[in-house]
Amino acid sequence: MIDYLQFVLAPQMITGLSLGVAVVLVALGLTIIFGLLDVINMSHGEFYAVGAYLALSLGAAGISFWLLLVLVPLLMIPIGFAVERGLIQRVFNAPDRHTTTLLLTFGLGLVIEEVLAVIYGPNTQRPPTPIRGAVEVFGVMLPNYRLFLIGFGVAVMGLVALVVYRTRLGAMVRAAAYDRDMAASLGVPVALVFAGAFAFGLALAGLAGVLLAPIYSVFPTMGRDFILLAFTVVIVGGMGSIAGAVVAGLLLTQVQAVSSLFISPVWSDPIVFGIMVVMLMVRPQGLFGRLGRA
Amino acid sequence: MHSHVDAGPAPAGAAGPRRLDRLGLAMRASHLLFGFLALTCLIFAALAWRTGDVFYLRLATEALIFAGLALSVDILLGYTGLLSLGQALYFGLGAYASAVTLKAGYPVSGALGAAFGLSLAASLVGGLIVSRVRGVYFALITFGLAQVAAKAVYNTRELGASDGLIGVPVMPIHLGVATVSSDSPVGFFLFTLAFMAVLYGAVAYLLDTPFGRVLIALKANERRVPYLGYRPERARLAAYVLAAIVAALSGALYPMLRGFVSPELLSFTTSGNAVITVVTGGAGTLVGAFYGSLILTALRSVVGSWTSHHLIVIGLLFMAVVVLFPKGLAGFARSWVEDRFARTGSL
Amino acid sequence: MTRITTTTFAMLASVALAPLALAQTGPIKIGVDTPLSGTYAPIGQQVRWGLELAAKEVNAKGGIAGRPVQLIFEDEEANPSVAVQKADKLFQVDKVDFLTGTVNSGSTLAVGQIAERTNKLMATTVSFADSITADKCSPNVFRVNARAEQQSSALAAWLMKTNPDPKVYLLGPDYEMGRSTVAAFQAGVKSRGGTILGEVFAPLDSKDYSQYFGQIRAARPQVLYTSTAGNDTVRLLTQMQDFGLLTNLLVVGASGTVTSQNIGAIGSAANGFATGVGYSPEIPTAENKTFVDAFRAAYKADPDLYGADSYGLIYFYKAAVEKAGSTETDKVRTAMRDLQWDTPQGRKTMRAGDHQAVQTMYVVRVDNGKFAINAEVAGDQAIGPDLCTRF
Repeated sequence: MIDYLQFVLAPQMITGLSLGVAVVLVALGLTIIFGLLDVINMSHGEFYAVGAYLALSLGAAGISFWLLLVLVPLLMIPIGFAVERGLIQRVFNAPDRHTTTLLLTFGLGLVIEEVLAVIYGPNTQRPPTPIRGAVEVFGVMLPNYRLFLIGFGVAVMGLVALVVYRTRLGAMVRAAAYDRDMAASLGVPVALVFAGAFAFGLALAGLAGVLLAPIYSVFPTMGRDFILLAFTVVIVGGMGSIAGAVVAGLLLTQVQAVSSLFISPVWSDPIVFGIMVVMLMVRPQGLFGRLGRA
Repeated sequence: MHSHVDAGPAPAGAAGPRRLDRLGLAMRASHLLFGFLALTCLIFAALAWRTGDVFYLRLATEALIFAGLALSVDILLGYTGLLSLGQALYFGLGAYASAVTLKAGYPVSGALGAAFGLSLAASLVGGLIVSRVRGVYFALITFGLAQVAAKAVYNTRELGASDGLIGVPVMPIHLGVATVSSDSPVGFFLFTLAFMAVLYGAVAYLLDTPFGRVLIALKANERRVPYLGYRPERARLAAYVLAAIVAALSGALYPMLRGFVSPELLSFTTSGNAVITVVTGGAGTLVGAFYGSLILTALRSVVGSWTSHHLIVIGLLFMAVVVLFPKGLAGFARSWVEDRFARTGSL
Repeated sequence: MTRITTTTFAMLASVALAPLALAQTGPIKIGVDTPLSGTYAPIGQQVRWGLELAAKEVNAKGGIAGRPVQLIFEDEEANPSVAVQKADKLFQVDKVDFLTGTVNSGSTLAVGQIAERTNKLMATTVSFADSITADKCSPNVFRVNARAEQQSSALAAWLMKTNPDPKVYLLGPDYEMGRSTVAAFQAGVKSRGGTILGEVFAPLDSKDYSQYFGQIRAARPQVLYTSTAGNDTVRLLTQMQDFGLLTNLLVVGASGTVTSQNIGAIGSAANGFATGVGYSPEIPTAENKTFVDAFRAAYKADPDLYGADSYGLIYFYKAAVEKAGSTETDKVRTAMRDLQWDTPQGRKTMRAGDHQAVQTMYVVRVDNGKFAINAEVAGDQAIGPDLCTRF
């Protein structure tokens, strides 16, 4: 029994935690973009891939991993501004914004995926693990990089929550999300806030790309890996809620990790999907409701 | 089941000519465009038959079959504003039902019946969940359901698992007046064209009834509809079931044409292509699904032999349509035809 | 004696006359229905290179029965629906004499059926699902590469010889093909007296394999067999390395597990990996060296098993057409049955009963990022029984 706890259940939950942090990092950007702009970014996974490829190229050019953690998100910001201004704003006032932006970003995702395949080829690539080695905790081997990922990821989540919920900037963002016109009349530069929020969402996706590339490797269709799970997390947590994304992300990956000990792991995705469906039936607003409203 | 349909104020097909409102005019314009398309297809068939072509006839048949899937997406997207990212689920269901039935030695009518029955049952169950959600939730649930179904097929040995099912026999199709074989390129093309015309006609008829008007009203303003005495969930469920049946019946033709089915028919690529087809062709026009499918199939065939990165071209074209021509190609053409109708005052 | 003379004379006559008769009908067209885009594009590229190199060589030496070879490529996107559509085009519009190139088994099976209905012949040089030349065999489909069973029995035989009574753990991708590959290897090990400690199946395209490491570690195996492929292998092996699981563990797998496409991304985590395979650029024969040199000169890359088997296919078809004295389906099929032909990996024999090539198998191990040959297993010891009942 102790053996089981120590060698099977505990490692399962800890590795589940590192996957959870990874999913939350992808989902955070998604939920911020939705909560603020009311836009479904179907190409979010592809921007995660762009971040990973940037890390790969720049890393191969000799830039250290630690610098990339800052540099890649910064590079994603102008891309985010360009996409928001050049594409999203063009259909922002369409009769059905959700569907139209969803279609547009779906097309964008297809194009990005193909462009990545043209530039980098279809083969899988992988940057070296930045922190090597593993430590033994209660008889369980844990790679140092996974521990770093968990710690760093939690810090990023805390920082994002702090900025959005506790600063003046965050207050402006939440005001714009709550009532666009009212915020504008109070002097909030709404257009800039919207573009900035989109860019911030992409920066988070890019950061996730840098952090996860050494663990999950890099290939053109890698964005599809996380997108269903990330959307599920966002919906269960409440579209637009940062706290919701964090809680739902960590919770759902634990459900996957533990359930796969008892039933075939093939069903771990359907189980999480089932939870999302039940959630929508019982509590459509998600665990925490929307940004600016909770 | 749909009490609101019968309770409608002006049942379609009521005696006497009725004045056409804007929606009626638009439907007429779609019919005209469909007639033009069918005529073009007939001329093409005659030419292909004269030259003894096989490939282009089969390619066009396949385009028509996938147009059926796109039509199904349009019922949801164009009429209820619900974007399905997993309509290939029902297309694949119909294809597998048809393949299994035909392999067991049943006739084509049995295959179509199986596809109809299974999709009706499955969509009633799925619809109970799906009809309660809208917008992005609907898109993601349909996406997820299709993923789960594709995974299940991929793991089922009885359905050929990842290899799919081959060996679907060539079948005679009895049409009362004539019998065509499913491996006769021109015969099966004409059969598919007629089949799609019937599907289009049936869908157009249903959507022109008060039931269709309720859907359009729902799309425009959901909160007001209950005051008119209609239940939004019921109408949405009905649209979902109708779309599922159209997709499954179209899918049922696939194994007759190609002799096999594979799990890729249920994949996201198939669902996504149908969405691209509808949006490019023109959502909410019904006929756009057909124009979109024929044009994109031709484009893929041309661009596909020119570069292996044809997805970039298709993707950019699709984005351009979303931004610049939100009505799609057929929507564009239809407005023009509509204006003609309105000006002449006839019809 | 008289009979032999007559036959010889007839053969000489047909060889002398055939080029004259055929030369008037223009080039021999071979359709290549292979993935040029998408995940399988790198395999499609090897197929293309192998075929093009062989076609160039054959054409430089007078072609097949005096007719030049022309290759016509179509992108099948590793999707059976697209593969079938493109096969239809190649047969009906381009009027190809022969078809090859399909990579995933679903495409090969579906296109094989098109070939059968069009009364043409095709061959796969890549697909390794046993079913193609067993329960789903077709009189119109040939396979010139080694199938899964040949690969896993060669590997099992080698494993038992080098490690008496190994304790084996199995990890497969959770779908039909992955499960059958694992089952075949399991049967091979058990029948030779090895011990299976346990098995686990991970979903296809799993992100994180670390959730299975607890079970594997607890079982304390000496050998881990896996049949993952592509990205899945990259993740599995690098994550195992991060978790310190690769020390004192021999990892073996299917031929598609570690390939020239993903070995770069796996890096040092691939070292020591062993697999049973039908080809390696390291095969120390003069024929292979000539082939590898020509391949490198032309494409600045090493051939892998897909490139080599595709290269060998052109020579297979050439031998069959020249033996048949015609490109007619029935005659070529008869000629292909029991045909022996030379390839970079030695002489192969096309078994008449199931259209499966019999060939020497190799066990290769990764040493510093490169495959090195560890052992050879004779063709008849790896081939397994003929299970095809259709012809």
